[in-house]
Amino acid sequence: MNNNWLEENTFHYSDFKDLNRLVEEKAKKNLKISLCLPTLNEEKTIAKEIIILKSELMTRYPLLDEIIVVDSGSTDKTTEIARAYGADVYLATEILPRLEQFKGKGENLWKALYITKGDIIIYLDADIKNIHHRFAYGLLGPLLLNDHIKFVKAFYDRPIAIGKNKMRPTGGGRVTELVIRPLFSLFFPDLTQLIQPLSGEYAGFREVFERIPFPIGYGVETSMNMDIYEKWGLEVMAQVDLDRRIHRNQDTKALGRMAFTILRTFINRKIRLGLIDLKDELFDEMIQYNLVNNKYQPNIFKIEDHERPPIIEIPEYREKFKIDQERLRNLQEA
Amino acid sequence: MDKFLTQLPGLVDEIKSLKEIIITNIVLIGQTPAPTFKEKKRSKIFRERLAEFQVDEVTTDGYRNPIGIVRGADSSKPPIFVLAHLDTFYEGDQILNYTIKENTITGAGILDNSIGVGVIASLPLIFKKLDLQFESDIVLAGTIQSLGKGNLRGVRHLLKTWPTPIRGGICVEGIELGRLNYYSDGMIRGEIACSISDERNLLTDYTPNAIIILNEVINEIMNLKTSQRPRSRIVIGKMTGGANHGKIAPEANLGFEIRSDSYKIVKKLYGEIRDVVEGMSHENEVDLNIKTISNLRASRLKYNHPLVKHSAAVIEALGIKPVSRPTESALSIFLSHKIPAVTLGITYGENRYFENATMEIEPMYQGIAQIIGVLKAIDSGVCDEQQLA
Repeated sequence: MNNNWLEENTFHYSDFKDLNRLVEEKAKKNLKISLCLPTLNEEKTIAKEIIILKSELMTRYPLLDEIIVVDSGSTDKTTEIARAYGADVYLATEILPRLEQFKGKGENLWKALYITKGDIIIYLDADIKNIHHRFAYGLLGPLLLNDHIKFVKAFYDRPIAIGKNKMRPTGGGRVTELVIRPLFSLFFPDLTQLIQPLSGEYAGFREVFERIPFPIGYGVETSMNMDIYEKWGLEVMAQVDLDRRIHRNQDTKALGRMAFTILRTFINRKIRLGLIDLKDELFDEMIQYNLVNNKYQPNIFKIEDHERPPIIEIPEYREKFKIDQERLRNLQEA
Repeated sequence: MDKFLTQLPGLVDEIKSLKEIIITNIVLIGQTPAPTFKEKKRSKIFRERLAEFQVDEVTTDGYRNPIGIVRGADSSKPPIFVLAHLDTFYEGDQILNYTIKENTITGAGILDNSIGVGVIASLPLIFKKLDLQFESDIVLAGTIQSLGKGNLRGVRHLLKTWPTPIRGGICVEGIELGRLNYYSDGMIRGEIACSISDERNLLTDYTPNAIIILNEVINEIMNLKTSQRPRSRIVIGKMTGGANHGKIAPEANLGFEIRSDSYKIVKKLYGEIRDVVEGMSHENEVDLNIKTISNLRASRLKYNHPLVKHSAAVIEALGIKPVSRPTESALSIFLSHKIPAVTLGITYGENRYFENATMEIEPMYQGIAQIIGVLKAIDSGVCDEQQLA
């Protein structure tokens, strides 16, 4: 296990508070930066995210070149509000319409790669109640100030303090501690150093995101961690403490379904990497039980297992970003 | 000044072009909890925002009121104060979550007074955007310990210890747009506490009930004569007490406020309530105590004071009808120091004292233009010649 990683590649957002320095670095490297907010019925939080990020990181400090919302078909006023506050709003179904349509957060993130023009893409969940611009500049800092870092993940709440006399309890949510961390401990001990591998906020260079597949649902974060680790190693990854995030509390059954998806994503990755061999196919239904009139009744959720290929393999994408076959080959070989 | 009045409506759109920054200030400051006596976190973020907008000086006074100063062109002119109270009636110390919709912001304390503080934090940027310069220094202050038991201590200290004369003041409140307060009532807020000793249960068959005792106190207060002129009234505003449904209440508290445009009447009524309390305490053999939580002397600008007239003209120039009522805010402290001042509201809203307090966004830009107009009026000298009544 790479023991130095945690110390060397873990940051605190306050390390990047000097926004002028980030703006200078961005200009020096001639980079464009896009912020993507995937949404589904987020009318209560979307406006605040757009306003604060636009105010602080577009109007006051020109760090973001665009804020885009990719919506999965909200039935509330999410898209109207987002438009009213100046975000570029897209319906996921209208992006790359030639392809089969799926619905899920991973789908939105993947399609955002086609829509955005940034060299760096920041993904933030749209349900952050205590949104602050540190959520974006904290993720950008390591990418702009360290040439070897290509992907940064957020962690929250219980910041890990590195160094003497600065130990504090750390950890993720229930699914992280009960599902992901045991799996990583068993198969990828290096990745246990990610304090919250399932956090929904991360940023990275396009050259990374365009070359990894995206599961369309909850599994997207798990697969992203594993794929980037497998392809480029832990050294290109970093994590940043964003202090505190207030989010929706999910009930145990909802978390169970999330765990199901993540487990399946994990196992499929292991099979694809040739690390394990299953004699049978995995089932695609999560079965939970409810007590109704003193009888247990099964509640069956069919959870689709679709995954988008690396978007660089999509001809429309290559055409838009002017990637010819030779460059594609070079990238794949690299 | 007349020329500036005609330009004022045109400023509204320019101010609106900064909407993201203004709303961000309101939200980031407003979501930081600031119960009275615990305003430290909000004070810090207020100072940080002022510093980021590059005011000439950011500091705190000796009482820890956070202050930003925008330097004026003429150092011989006394400063003009723009202030809003930092503290909120909302007592929780958890981060508050505001919800922004198309034309509203909702959240605890937004109307009283996150809007005021957020707008003041935005003024340096608005001055730059509108290319406004002033002769006087503009002192932007968020005052601490204003509400309830705070008894306006922050603003009292700020004005009492300020080393130079002060040219004029604007107190900024979240709502209602159009309010033009230039006089304040005399006021005493008090609390009456009743407690029944445990020993009473052992010594007598009859155990008095603290809530019922206070109910009798209320009945007696209602019998007190309040005059029509000078105008006076007593408000029974708050009552707490008891332990549970089936137990005789061992303790109860009553909060009340006496108001009048004559402080002499306020004091007289307070004395009468104190007599009621003492009498009931003797008659019922219970601990019944009265204490003053806060007080204000009545003070006013004349209705024809140039600041009042110009402020009304500014509000009317923006197409809003000015409404004048007495207030019990920082205004009275300005006036008691013989400093001409007015209180202005920024926008419209509802559910002021509830967690779902909601402000309207769009009228806020007029509310801000109005502050700019009144600031310009003070800077042009409308407060310089007339003494206070």
